[in-house]
Amino acid sequence: MSGKTETANNALIHVDHLVKTFGNNEVLKDISIEIHKGEVISIIGPSGCGKSTFIRSLNLLEEPSGGKIYFNGQDITAKGTDERLVREKIGMVFQQFNLFNNMTVKKNIMHAPVLLRLMTKEQAEKRAMELLERVGLSDKADHYPAQLSGGQKQRVAIARSLAMDPEVMLFDEPTSALDPEMVNEVLNIMKDLAKAGMTMVVVTHEMGFAREVSTRVIFIDGGIIKEDEAPQEFFDNPKNERLKEFLKSVLK
Amino acid sequence: MKKRFQKYLVIAVLCTVVMCLFSVSVMSAGSEATVSEVSVVQSTDTTATGARTFTSDKNSDSSQSEDKISQKPGFAERFYTNFIQDNRYRLLLNGLKTTLLITLFSMAIGLVAGFLLALIRVAHDKNGSVRILNLLAKLYITVIRGTPASIQLMIIYFVIFASTDINQTLVAIIAFAINSSAYVSEVIRSGIMSIDVGQFEAGKSLGLKFSSIMTTIILPQALKNVLPALGNEFISLLKETSVCGFIGLADLTRGGDLIRGITYDAFMPLIAVALIYLVIVIGLSSLVSLMERKLKKNER
Repeated sequence: MSGKTETANNALIHVDHLVKTFGNNEVLKDISIEIHKGEVISIIGPSGCGKSTFIRSLNLLEEPSGGKIYFNGQDITAKGTDERLVREKIGMVFQQFNLFNNMTVKKNIMHAPVLLRLMTKEQAEKRAMELLERVGLSDKADHYPAQLSGGQKQRVAIARSLAMDPEVMLFDEPTSALDPEMVNEVLNIMKDLAKAGMTMVVVTHEMGFAREVSTRVIFIDGGIIKEDEAPQEFFDNPKNERLKEFLKSVLK
Repeated sequence: MKKRFQKYLVIAVLCTVVMCLFSVSVMSAGSEATVSEVSVVQSTDTTATGARTFTSDKNSDSSQSEDKISQKPGFAERFYTNFIQDNRYRLLLNGLKTTLLITLFSMAIGLVAGFLLALIRVAHDKNGSVRILNLLAKLYITVIRGTPASIQLMIIYFVIFASTDINQTLVAIIAFAINSSAYVSEVIRSGIMSIDVGQFEAGKSLGLKFSSIMTTIILPQALKNVLPALGNEFISLLKETSVCGFIGLADLTRGGDLIRGITYDAFMPLIAVALIYLVIVIGLSSLVSLMERKLKKNER
């Protein structure tokens, strides 16, 4: 585990003793981690271990109960922080896609940049078409989400997130709701993103992706980070007993 | 394919209505006569029909019924006495104006007020804010939905505005707007709550404000879902305004009553009033289904 200082440092995201409780249920017990620019971090763990809660805390969709999160050296858990400005810079892709059902694919991508006056309508439209090209869906620009397959929806969701030019992208089980044959089309887009140098934090059950693409793999169990290693070491030489068990059951 | 089907459906409904009207009017020339006869004999009036039946009663007992039928005015004549004579149709027309005025204004005000109530309730349910406002809204909705509109109307007119010389139409608009807002708020709230929470979160994750998420993402979807229920609410509102006579307001229903009081003919004015309501409701519901179809295009 990283044993660096607890003050703000040059990490892109610095999580410092994060705690999250729901009522009496302590989901995250004491999480500390540093995420640097260009890293691709996979988070794995058994269901209910707090990995989703952890990634949702990073853009404050879950309000931390304790500890601090620094983004670019700024304490975003401090009172008076404008959550919206933070979220503009942290993209998020959801398990259930969550495309806006009342808008076409193109409008889904343009919506936030135009509404937040980051781009004019024309710029946003041009950008949306570029991004759709990138995820291979330019022919679907004027379709509604209900007309797309799961894999296509998730690719649009990634494009929508990219339209905000985020500094880091969070993926919360992006392929878990997909039919098996659609998993790869989404993973390939994510691989391309990683190659292009995007900083990514991915909660996933895709061990192949974690092993091939990520720079670090993290195992969370019982609200605590139990292992944090490079993928090779993580998969070939796991130290934590619980992780050994877990890998045995999922890699069978 | 679907559009064509709906067109046929509308035509079929209209045909049925016309046929019903026709058959009823033919029947009324015969059997209806006796019904109105009774009321005429019972009442001590001085209209032409009353006088005529009265004399025939005295003349001969055996040929009484035959006489009555032969002397009974025909459909055209009754139409004339009920609607054309002394411009009596104006009673219906002016009543219709009042009914539409009340319905439209209370609908609009009820929609806005119901909307605000729904937002208060949703803001509380979603993030626990505005507790006091939420309690008040809940109380308001319970009281308004738990008492009849006619009583609310009379309380507002005879109790609250008892000492003032307020316009009755205004009172009716206020009363029905209040009544409608309670129902509308629950309809809209259920629509908002039916939208997946993920839509909210996706908006948040892009840095959008609560109000922008509400107005550009949640409400368009919610309103589309509750459009049929809202249409329903407006149809019952229109019909509910028929109790306006309770405070002496000459609406459509009261217009029919006035004609009945003059001509002592129950059938013609009542059927006319019923038909007018029916036509407005058919218009209103086809408007709603037109909007539904327009909004449906993004589903598939």
